[in-house]
Amino acid sequence: MNRKLAHHWNVRSRREFFSNAGSGLGAIALSSMLAEGADDRIRNPYAARPGHFKPKAKSVIWLFMEGGPSHIDLFDPKPKLNEMAGKPMPASFGKLVTAMGTGNNTLMASPRKWRQHGNSGMWVSDWYPEIAKHADDLTVIRSCWANGLNHVGSVCQMNTGDILAGRPSLGAWVTYGLGSANKNLPTFVVLTDDKEVLGGPKNWSSGFLPATFQGTQFRQGDTPILNLKPPTGVDDARQKSRLAFLKRINEHWGADKTEDTDLDARVRNFELAYEMQSAGAEAVDLSKETDATRAMYGMDVEETRQFGQNCLQARRLVERGVRFIELYCGSGSGWDAHSNIEGNHSKWCRVSDKPIAGLLADLKKRGLLQDTLVVWGGEFGRTPFNEKGNGRDHNPWGFTMWMAGGGAKGGHYVGTTDEIGLRAVEKPCHVHDIHASILYALGLDHLQLTYQHNGRAERPTIVGGNIFKEIFA
Amino acid sequence: MRLVAVSLLIGASALLAESGQKKEFTPMQKNWWAFQPVKKQTVPQSAGRTTIDKFLLARMTGKGITPNPQADRTTLLRRASLVLTGLPPTPEETQAFLSDTSANAFEKVIDRLLASPQYGERWARHWLDLARYADSEGFKADETRPNVWRYRDYVIKSFNEDKPYDRFVKEQIAGDELYPNNLDAKIAVGFNRHFPDESNAANIRQRRQELMFDIVDTTGAVFLGMTFGCAKCHDHKFDPILQKDYYRLQAFYANTRIEDEALLMSREEQVNWKAQYGVWEAKTANIREEMQDILAKPRQTFFEERLSRFPDEIKETITMDAAKRTPEQWHMFMKARTQVEFTDDEVAKKLRGAPQARYKELENELAKFDNLKPADRPMAQTLAEMHTAAPKTHVLTNGNFDAPTQEVNPGFLTILDPDDADVSKGRRSALANWVASASNPLSTRVIVNRVWHYHFGRGLAATPSDFGLMGDRPANLPLLDQLTADFAENGWSLKRLHKQIMLSDAWRMSSAHNEANAKLDPENKLQWKFARRRLEGEAVRDSMLQVAGRLNGKMYGEPVFPPLPAGVVTRGGWKSNEETSNADRRSVYVFVRRNTRYPMFDAFDMPDTHESCARRNVTVNPAQSLELMNSRLVNEWSRSLAQRVRNDAGQTTDGMLDRAFRLAFQRTPRDAERADAEAFLAKQTQLTGSEESAWQDLCQTLLNSNEFLYIN
Repeated sequence: MNRKLAHHWNVRSRREFFSNAGSGLGAIALSSMLAEGADDRIRNPYAARPGHFKPKAKSVIWLFMEGGPSHIDLFDPKPKLNEMAGKPMPASFGKLVTAMGTGNNTLMASPRKWRQHGNSGMWVSDWYPEIAKHADDLTVIRSCWANGLNHVGSVCQMNTGDILAGRPSLGAWVTYGLGSANKNLPTFVVLTDDKEVLGGPKNWSSGFLPATFQGTQFRQGDTPILNLKPPTGVDDARQKSRLAFLKRINEHWGADKTEDTDLDARVRNFELAYEMQSAGAEAVDLSKETDATRAMYGMDVEETRQFGQNCLQARRLVERGVRFIELYCGSGSGWDAHSNIEGNHSKWCRVSDKPIAGLLADLKKRGLLQDTLVVWGGEFGRTPFNEKGNGRDHNPWGFTMWMAGGGAKGGHYVGTTDEIGLRAVEKPCHVHDIHASILYALGLDHLQLTYQHNGRAERPTIVGGNIFKEIFA
Repeated sequence: MRLVAVSLLIGASALLAESGQKKEFTPMQKNWWAFQPVKKQTVPQSAGRTTIDKFLLARMTGKGITPNPQADRTTLLRRASLVLTGLPPTPEETQAFLSDTSANAFEKVIDRLLASPQYGERWARHWLDLARYADSEGFKADETRPNVWRYRDYVIKSFNEDKPYDRFVKEQIAGDELYPNNLDAKIAVGFNRHFPDESNAANIRQRRQELMFDIVDTTGAVFLGMTFGCAKCHDHKFDPILQKDYYRLQAFYANTRIEDEALLMSREEQVNWKAQYGVWEAKTANIREEMQDILAKPRQTFFEERLSRFPDEIKETITMDAAKRTPEQWHMFMKARTQVEFTDDEVAKKLRGAPQARYKELENELAKFDNLKPADRPMAQTLAEMHTAAPKTHVLTNGNFDAPTQEVNPGFLTILDPDDADVSKGRRSALANWVASASNPLSTRVIVNRVWHYHFGRGLAATPSDFGLMGDRPANLPLLDQLTADFAENGWSLKRLHKQIMLSDAWRMSSAHNEANAKLDPENKLQWKFARRRLEGEAVRDSMLQVAGRLNGKMYGEPVFPPLPAGVVTRGGWKSNEETSNADRRSVYVFVRRNTRYPMFDAFDMPDTHESCARRNVTVNPAQSLELMNSRLVNEWSRSLAQRVRNDAGQTTDGMLDRAFRLAFQRTPRDAERADAEAFLAKQTQLTGSEESAWQDLCQTLLNSNEFLYIN
């Protein structure tokens, strides 16, 4: 009852989240007329804040396989499906509305070779040989499910909890809940391939939360953040001098307005932006990484170079106190294998296998894995029945995600799908449950993480969400 | 106190639900201020000068709070210009006002600003926030809505004409029904066409219900200040909005459909157009016939491929005999058809080989007759009523489109009027007349409070779209009611209301701090000072362009695409207007791509356009500082300002500094500022080896300063 009603009556002020001032980013006050609630005064959006629980992880790296990887060809073997291949789905599975109207098509076998790996004997197919070596670090959730049929809605839901755009993304909630753990970098960073993610920046938007909490897309090259570089001809001395003069000008005007902390925050925000110029550039500067490290991430091979680079980037950001990093692989629906899944997935598995394995190994080697929750998954899985003879349609009813590090057990399964991998059966784990569990790992209670908006105490999981504690040790 | 009341209320409603009784409104709901009739108030006896001041002062004196004195004249003029037009005053306007010693000098300024076209451009932007306006669909493809900008122009025009607010409301809810021959009214109905939409949704029934949700939520919030959204799945937990009421409101819109080709031509213009088009048609009949023959087969294949994606019920709806469609099926069909009907160009892309070659030839052939073809007809993207009977509306269990229960008819909030509405003259007409009625306690207060909000940065009720129990109670309800009654009695004129507000001492007060007052009323709820606030991103950009002498004041028309910072990619495209005339238009004309807002506006808290926004967030974030410091555009504008300063007053450093400060701040530098500026110029000249660069840096600093970015 409480659980269900929480979105209606948790009217507690957000002040507690904002009560601690810190240094660096933390000292930047946000004096704002936050959307609702007249009692809002000074806010410190970036000040590090304690969560509701003892955290298991400090950072999250979300490896987003955009387009929908096929769980039944990667982590969830279905011998029964191979037996029934070529036949229509038994009537007992009911009628389905699918994205491409493929519900009456015949079942398609998985030609993958499966093997158990590690001490735990986790099943991983031959498409992911490198990741398979980390089997004992993975908690594989085979019973995920979501609501959307189409990519854009489903990508949106995986990010924001809702298939309709407009809500804050999980990274924004985390930033709102915990503030920043670094002094001069964004706290929620998004990295993509060279194509645009479906739905674009909506997916890392702060929704109705203040813009301060939105994700920052790091772009390729040495200028990861928009307007990070001073304009041509403006060197450091010139810019420093400009900022010093700006400070003076602001001080003159602000001399009789010292009570207005908003003005002061703005002055200090320029200093922060200035620091970010070098810190941002430094964070993406891979020149000090050794060849061995690069090779570990597959950066020495063209096919894995870009995603490997993003994975390495993610590790560097974790080291620098960035809390939430979202890393798209196949941005723009790369994994969307409606036909020729053999070709499509062979490619994207090659693209992602080595870099992800490299990331896990590198994090471990540096002692970072225990504090970093690595999440792998797409916006949905793929259907057991065929599309166009050799592809698979979208499957939001049952699919696989895994988590590693950051307190996740490792070598452990959660839930199952039915015998053909269509629907989650045991311990169904909805997107809201995944979100609630990730927040839990970071020390946040999704029911208490609320923001007053349009008369409702909104929370990341809308009206749902159960924490799956069994994911974690 | 409020918390206690709220928990009592929960207790009561839980009790009712458990005992299975019919839901009754609690005394608190029934007595809630927002539902009480608006009545003229007795003006309090206080020392206040205007009626507004008397009401405000009456609340302060008892508490030992003294209102601030008036702001100085320069501050006042700058404030008035920014609030009404979103642009700072020019040095000439400043000079004129400062030397006008007449008693009504400020009133003349207000009149001038209200009469300026820039007023409509500024206040339209507020309304566009409420209307969740965007030039694109949202969702995956985020396609451009090519004609939706006419609604933006309609809003600007309406504000400039001081269209009575009741008329403004009626046009936007039911303009097509109430004023069938008025083209503006046709555009206005587009207010509820601004929902984000997924053009390729396969589950049409679900998608249609989601659009209805958007319409009800927005209509309830914008016109009635009620959070209807909470009543989708159950009776509102706090406010007297029954779940049934949610769907009663939806029923007014039950028979609307998207109309993206609403012709904006008089009958005569249409006749002329058709005649001319007929000539072209006759001359090109053979060519076009052959083209259509080529397209016929691929079109059919395309159709069948798309059709196969739909569930059976939608397939049937598309392919069935039109005469046999039920009203429900008509709505499904209208929503689905855009996915199975294709333009010639779309089909032609599927051609290969010889047919493709032949088709190209024919296209070239056809182009030779372009001189005979009349120009494209002006069209609006809006809503229209379906030609068939309205489909039924049901209460939906948990808001699930697939779980209809009780059927409902169009009706208002039960607490105000439990009966079905009389929709004999049109469904939306009934809603429009009810909302725009002087006796509606919600809509009238809502708009007056919004205007107050945009003037002071905070409404008398601080939650302008939530007058419910979870919203903020008005800090001065008698004042709100007095203004509201007066507003509805005097022609619903927004310009009159602006003037009333701006002529008060409350509006003209200084923003200075007062320790004693702040102790008693730290949030300035009683309005003892004018609350300083940051400009919106759009106003920041416009002000910079104006001060730099670059603002292109051209009004209206298709959206413009100013350059994007390097690294921004947008799906749906962004063809930058590199030529400055278009790139330097006012921000209200900048294309609004739903999924990728213009980065500068995004950094400065532009709302996200997926739902109505009554109150923008105001944040301080590094993206803003980076934008101001490093963006190519702000640098260019600073250079323009430096050139302007040199051209206007290039003889002496003092003269140039005076000019730069006058342009940016409407004043000359104080001694300490002048000294700092001179030292800075010397240093930058030395660092850059160029006096020009030094002046550019100085100008950019002024544009980045708090004094420039704030309404003080």
